[in-house]
Amino acid sequence: MNTVQMMRQVLFKPLDFFYDIQEPNRLKWSQGFILILMAFIARMASLLLVGYHFEARAPYQISYFHEFIWILVPWITWCLANWSVSTILDGEGKFKELFVGSAFCLVPYIIFIIPITLMTNVLALSEESFYNSATVLILCWVGLLILIKVKVLHDFELGKLILITFFTLLGMAIIWFIGILLYGLINQFISFFLDLFKEIRFRL
Amino acid sequence: MKTMKRLCAIIATVMMMLVLPMEGMAETPYEGYIWNTEGRDVHSINGYVYHDSIDGAFLPTGVFNNPEDIFIANDDTIYITDTGNNRIVHLDQDYEVIKVIGDQDGPGKLNGPKGVFIKEDGTVYVADTKNQRIAIFDQNGKYERELTAPTSTLLGKKFSYSPSKLVVDKRDYLYVVSEGNTKGLMQINNKGEFKGFFGTNEVGFNLWRFLARLIATDEQKAKMRSVQPLAFSNLAQDEDGFIYTTTLGTDENQIKRLSPVGVDTLNPSAKKYGDLLSYGGNIEISAFIDLTVNEDGLITALNLQTSRIYQYDKLGNLLFVFGGTGEQNGVFTTPSSIDQDSEGILYVVDKGRNRIDLFRTTPFADLVHTASKLYVDGQYEDAKEIWEEVIHLNGNYDIAYHAIGKALYNSEKYKEAMDYFKKASSRTDYSASFREYRVEYVREHFAWFFGGVIALFIILRFGIPRLIKLIRQGRKERRTALEGEVDAK
Repeated sequence: MNTVQMMRQVLFKPLDFFYDIQEPNRLKWSQGFILILMAFIARMASLLLVGYHFEARAPYQISYFHEFIWILVPWITWCLANWSVSTILDGEGKFKELFVGSAFCLVPYIIFIIPITLMTNVLALSEESFYNSATVLILCWVGLLILIKVKVLHDFELGKLILITFFTLLGMAIIWFIGILLYGLINQFISFFLDLFKEIRFRL
Repeated sequence: MKTMKRLCAIIATVMMMLVLPMEGMAETPYEGYIWNTEGRDVHSINGYVYHDSIDGAFLPTGVFNNPEDIFIANDDTIYITDTGNNRIVHLDQDYEVIKVIGDQDGPGKLNGPKGVFIKEDGTVYVADTKNQRIAIFDQNGKYERELTAPTSTLLGKKFSYSPSKLVVDKRDYLYVVSEGNTKGLMQINNKGEFKGFFGTNEVGFNLWRFLARLIATDEQKAKMRSVQPLAFSNLAQDEDGFIYTTTLGTDENQIKRLSPVGVDTLNPSAKKYGDLLSYGGNIEISAFIDLTVNEDGLITALNLQTSRIYQYDKLGNLLFVFGGTGEQNGVFTTPSSIDQDSEGILYVVDKGRNRIDLFRTTPFADLVHTASKLYVDGQYEDAKEIWEEVIHLNGNYDIAYHAIGKALYNSEKYKEAMDYFKKASSRTDYSASFREYRVEYVREHFAWFFGGVIALFIILRFGIPRLIKLIRQGRKERRTALEGEVDAK
């Protein structure tokens, strides 16, 4: 099965899809990265194609890098946190399955966000609810796929699924906290040595 | 030859007219700017320039001492509250002294007055701050009577009366700002009886405060600083009897227009007045200490924090900013009050220099004022041409784009209106004209849309079933062929 066929399967038969990807050699690491890239492209396109009256930010306020980070980092931290938590709590999922499977969960967003955004070019602000509800629907779909993914890949029942999801979110928060902390510390560390270097050069 | 000479003279005058105002503008010690609809400060043409000064030193009454208030009566005579000299100085239109009020010993002797109001019949009401009373003088400056501190259970026991500013409405009710009073404007009737507070500022909900209250013990609660509404700093009254107030200590809704029942009608939602950002580094909150409103509803407010004057139209759109801190003519050391006469000349009291600076409008401001008056009255069509001229002079003037957009919308030119609303970054109005334009567009291209619908129907009704049939047939044939092969093997 190629990537396009897999995307079709995740849309229409998500349960089958997540059962199938547990077969060895079904997934490729590259698929995950391609899908994330596509999600990023879809996101940028939706930001740029939106009708003027629906714009929340002017084009000059949008940063490509920033948007990319906001897709990439949550995805990676989700995978890491989910894998670590579920490994401890008897999950059966492998890291590769989680990693690429999570990327496949974004498929509804990748496919539908652009048509929905194009819709804003023919809607007035008073019909905003069409646009808003469609966007919410898409995000719910993505959320549901993520839950199905966790359930199927780890073979959990409902109660444990909720527990694991909660712990994963907690884990993500911890990773982010530590990341920010490390960033601050490393900054201090580097500036300490720079200052030291300057001081020594000044004395010599 | 004679005609030649005359022609030369005319050309010379025209040239001078062209050059002079430009030179005048270059001399202003402040640069015109405006906050545009994207929230940035951009260059704009100055609306007001320094014109003249009134300095007490050149008057027979002598130097002013910390003047706190100025009031210009309907006949354009000027009343200056000369706080440090405990008197009110009355000047005529040519800045010559008519009379001095409240400097004679006796019951009418003023002590640190901070505000003055003149009724239409010439009666003078003085907020005699340190005497804790309102002193009333007749039109000749003769002391009539006083309204002493009102008593009421509503005021509470700790209430200290320190009237600083006042207006008198058509019913002869006084609206008094008492310094440090956070409960609102005091309404006092003509006999000096307290009739209630008016237009109190609201204390907004604060999550942090709420949580702190929730957790704190009773003892801690007692120690916490009680949250008071913000105090008004000044007030003004327009022709229709609406009362405009300025509030200190906040960065939004500093200016309010209070209806007769005390409801703010100027700010439907929170709005920032003064500068939107400060580049100084510190967070600087605008401190509006006085304002004046003319018959067209133009609000001109004085901000002590930047020593600048901000003019808004009746809807609260910023029109001009001018003034600043400094020693030159046109900027102030410590401004304290502002008012305007019937010709639109602004009088700003600079108590730091003990003088009054006069500002006149530039031709650009006259243009904007005319257009704004028409626009606020809803005569978009008439205003449109003037606004176009305004844009021609100053492309940064977003309110002009918006006004032209409205005019175009009213004359059903929706496509053009959309462009103008886009320039004025008004998304709601853009959407409204887009909606109309959409209807128009569909109507114009009705044949195409109708044809499209029919084509779509045909495709869905006949094309797709046939396609499915074909695909199925193809699969079946392939399968039978495969089976045939298998059978053959």
